[in-house]
Amino acid sequence: MQSLRKKVALRSGNQMTAEGAIQAGCKFFAGYPITPASGIYKGMIDMLPLNGGIAISSPDEISALTYCVGASMRGFKAMTATSGPGWALMIETLQYALITETPVVIAVVQRLGPSTGGATQGGQGDIMITEFATSGGYTIPVLYPTNAKECFELTLKAFDWSEKYRTPVVLLTDKEIGMTTESVNYAGLYELSSAERKNIRNSDADIKKWKMYGFDSPDMITKFANVGGEVKVTATGSAHNAMGYLKKNDKETIATLLHLEEKILAHKDEMVEVKKELQDGADTLVISFGITARTLKDAVKLAREGGRKVSSLIIYSMFPIPEREIILSCDNCTRIVVAEENISGQYRKLIEPLFAGKEVVGVNKIGSMITTMEIAERIV
Amino acid sequence: MQVQENCTYMTSGAVMPFCKGCGHSNILKKLNEALGELKLDPKDVCLVTDIGCIGLTDALFDKVHTVHTTHGRSTGFATGIAVADKVLAEKRLKTIVLIGDGGSMIGLLHIVNAALMNVDLTVIVANNFLFGMTGGQQSSLTPEHFITQTTPFGNMNPSLDICGIAEASKAGFIARAVASDKDLSGLMAKAIQHSGFSIVEILELCTEHATKRNDLKGSMLAKMAEAEGHKLGILRNDVERREFSVKYAADVQSHLKEMKPPRFIEPIEGHKLKMPVGFIISGSAGERVQSSAGMLCQAALRCGLEVTQKNDNPVTQGSGFSLSEVIISPEEINYTGVSEADFVVVVSETGMKELKAQDIYQRISDKTVFIVDESIELDEVSSKVIKLPLRKMCGGDKASLGALDYVIRNYSLFDHEIFIKLLEKKFGEYSKIFRGEYYLDLV
Repeated sequence: MQSLRKKVALRSGNQMTAEGAIQAGCKFFAGYPITPASGIYKGMIDMLPLNGGIAISSPDEISALTYCVGASMRGFKAMTATSGPGWALMIETLQYALITETPVVIAVVQRLGPSTGGATQGGQGDIMITEFATSGGYTIPVLYPTNAKECFELTLKAFDWSEKYRTPVVLLTDKEIGMTTESVNYAGLYELSSAERKNIRNSDADIKKWKMYGFDSPDMITKFANVGGEVKVTATGSAHNAMGYLKKNDKETIATLLHLEEKILAHKDEMVEVKKELQDGADTLVISFGITARTLKDAVKLAREGGRKVSSLIIYSMFPIPEREIILSCDNCTRIVVAEENISGQYRKLIEPLFAGKEVVGVNKIGSMITTMEIAERIV
Repeated sequence: MQVQENCTYMTSGAVMPFCKGCGHSNILKKLNEALGELKLDPKDVCLVTDIGCIGLTDALFDKVHTVHTTHGRSTGFATGIAVADKVLAEKRLKTIVLIGDGGSMIGLLHIVNAALMNVDLTVIVANNFLFGMTGGQQSSLTPEHFITQTTPFGNMNPSLDICGIAEASKAGFIARAVASDKDLSGLMAKAIQHSGFSIVEILELCTEHATKRNDLKGSMLAKMAEAEGHKLGILRNDVERREFSVKYAADVQSHLKEMKPPRFIEPIEGHKLKMPVGFIISGSAGERVQSSAGMLCQAALRCGLEVTQKNDNPVTQGSGFSLSEVIISPEEINYTGVSEADFVVVVSETGMKELKAQDIYQRISDKTVFIVDESIELDEVSSKVIKLPLRKMCGGDKASLGALDYVIRNYSLFDHEIFIKLLEKKFGEYSKIFRGEYYLDLV
């Protein structure tokens, strides 16, 4: 029998997230068990030491993220993984990573909430709590794959953004993507790479004007100083001036705080990851992400087979919201359908203002995956 | 206000921001001396500070790395820094945590875990028995009967013995001192020099809140501690316990050869499917339902098919039902659930019960084939039902596997030989895997 000359494997999204992190050059992982994210933890324990890194266990999720942020401050790409209940505990340290401009990647594998919710049930209910987790409402970049292979690809992207823009980045997935195993074709995966950190050195031409949190323009991302490196680190989670010293309300401190948001917005156009399938003459646009985006594909196919003209948009870069791509995709459509596995249409509510004068409807449910028919029924 | 001059690590001319008589000023002065005694390169020192008055240290030490953190978490961040330094980097850093009594309690598990791991860092607990920065509220290290802003009639609780906690957490170096101790710098130097986790609790006065409300002088601190049963001096100095990175090298890194990189498959053209085929396989936990479904997937994958396997079980892993939904398809699989099953395999009553709870009769058609153990009662369905002595012939743990073998063998989904090879690799000779062979020939 003929070989198909492909390199494939049966992998879960969680395994591919771990493998993607390793490909991205992640060297430090700290984990705390939680269904449905534990597969990433186990993957890193099994593989990271073999790839020049270390994966350790932590006594809770707060510790897990503080360990990662500490390791990143020491100069190493770091990641942890959790689900809703653990994410709730990590939010304090997420904000610390944000204000200290420390790169770190957190994989949040959603399950049914609220509270302990349903450990072995999926959900897409953590969109709001993931994005709006900071006091002050700063933009946390969020990437959301739809299958195991994309878990690999977007974990690399998460590290890439994290290092380039010196920010925590969330890789958002869910139980159905994280724990379902599927065939993965590895073609091209090992050619992918992610950005390396730009460190400041004493020999650099810009060392004299370099400051811990300095910037000349909104888009500038200052070079990183490693704790233990040759350039002194002054890091703080309190409002600080460009040198990193705690200050109250002076002009420079407010500007430094504003820069945390401005630097992301300045690079917004480089942070767009979507898949559009537009059909000429379509009057309906269906939007989804994550596990539900897979169902969207089947529903759109079904609707088109039934003679309907329909466009689809899968969003991978959830935040910053790819507003331009969303607006362009809905072009002549008069009806927008947003499918997501949560009660209130969390993402729909955020993008609804982009569709002035159009009908916006949601497909929402909790407890089990949205089915093909449930979406197709809304493409009327 | 005190002015520090001629310092190596401190900011020259630094003005102490603390209240008159506050112990923090002396602790930091002594810390500076301790670093000097050890002749450390300032770039090899990292001060990780907590929230509270002691956290104002950063601006006072402008020659060393400073990381000012969130409340209680300082030891957590320091653990990450120290582990990364010792395992991944040049092993140069001395990481020192400065934390108050309040921070040591809210961040207690970080201290406990750093001690258990024996990470190379030093925790200095500046214990002034209350939350000074926020107005003098009671902390978990406030002594019994002590007056604070929030214990106006005296603290009802005894104080936590933080050194005792460190002891129970197997910390290698533990000491308790008073801020005015003559050799405080020497003691701190010993702690910093210790390879592995060390902790020094330093008792001191909060002159803004503690001494105004209590009859308390610096000379009384030692007695006060002893009255609480808290001993002073070096309480443990164990140099035998291996520091984390040493242990890690011996216990984990020495096993790298046994770790296996991910493995891949080169699929063959081993099927003639034109449409996706969906399976629902249900049974009891511990009876290899999901791993048998996994073998089906592995075989299908080897034959060039796309596959998805979506598992379901209660939160407990070893009891209740165990269920897999498997799709094998010549094309990309989107929706991973099986909404209309081609094959439903049921190998136990528990599995059947769960299927009913999951509306199984809504997910079948005339084309569905049920493969069920002979013991299971099914409702009347228009689908084809094949009852086999699965449990009797295959055993509970291979009942799902037997059923799947039956399906692959009789319905030509893909090359049966590939499935047999996988089975043999795991269980030995095919003809001996199942207790009886005859059912395999049933159609």
